[in-house]
Amino acid sequence: MSVKEAVLNSVKKRKKLNERLKKMIIERLNLDLELVEIEDDAGLFGMGLGLDSIDALDLAVGVAEEFDVTIEDDQMEVFRSVNTLADFIEQQTEGSTDND
Amino acid sequence: MIDKVTELEPGVRGRGIKNVTINEHFFQGHFPKEPIMPGVMIIECLAQLTALVYCCGILQEKGINDMGKLHDAHIDPEEIAAQVGYLANVNIKFRSPVVPGDQLILDCILGKSLGLLRKVKVSAKVNNTITAEGDLIVSRKE
Repeated sequence: MSVKEAVLNSVKKRKKLNERLKKMIIERLNLDLELVEIEDDAGLFGMGLGLDSIDALDLAVGVAEEFDVTIEDDQMEVFRSVNTLADFIEQQTEGSTDND
Repeated sequence: MIDKVTELEPGVRGRGIKNVTINEHFFQGHFPKEPIMPGVMIIECLAQLTALVYCCGILQEKGINDMGKLHDAHIDPEEIAAQVGYLANVNIKFRSPVVPGDQLILDCILGKSLGLLRKVKVSAKVNNTITAEGDLIVSRKE
């Protein structure tokens, strides 16, 4: 596989992961939003989507169930945005799902 | 509100019984001539069971398995009870009405926690039929 193909592949994979995360956020938290309305780097809490600590717990449960990744109490910074969540999941699942 | 706790795994899960009688004060107004147990009272039963499982879990963390030994261990029960915080979120679906004469079998399973919050899966059954189920989020006080 050429370098270009490899990069394209990883970008595609990441895009898919972000979409899966957004879908999970919308479904789990019953948000009245479309996928395109959540930006990859927009804050999930406070000024961003306006989520709260209860939503964070729901997301942590969702991430555990759908991605088999555990978010610990001292890792709250992963909830900053869709991208930070995706980074964390990629980091935690590295090697276990990558077979290529 | 719980009449009896039949199963208890401290900090993990519990099962309790609530016998619903016509003497309950809430039946006077809910509703006259047609008594139906208010949903919030079912939630209260489930929350009380959860608080018990939670408190026993905290006690076990402190190495206490026998309530009779609380005094010997110099632990103030009120101090433990004070760690039970608020019912932060309730997401319960009610499947069928609960009426006088029913025996509610209450179940709670403590789930994932994040910070001070913990998700709890709960259900209430009458004659093996689910009357209410869903989840609560409870907080722990520091």
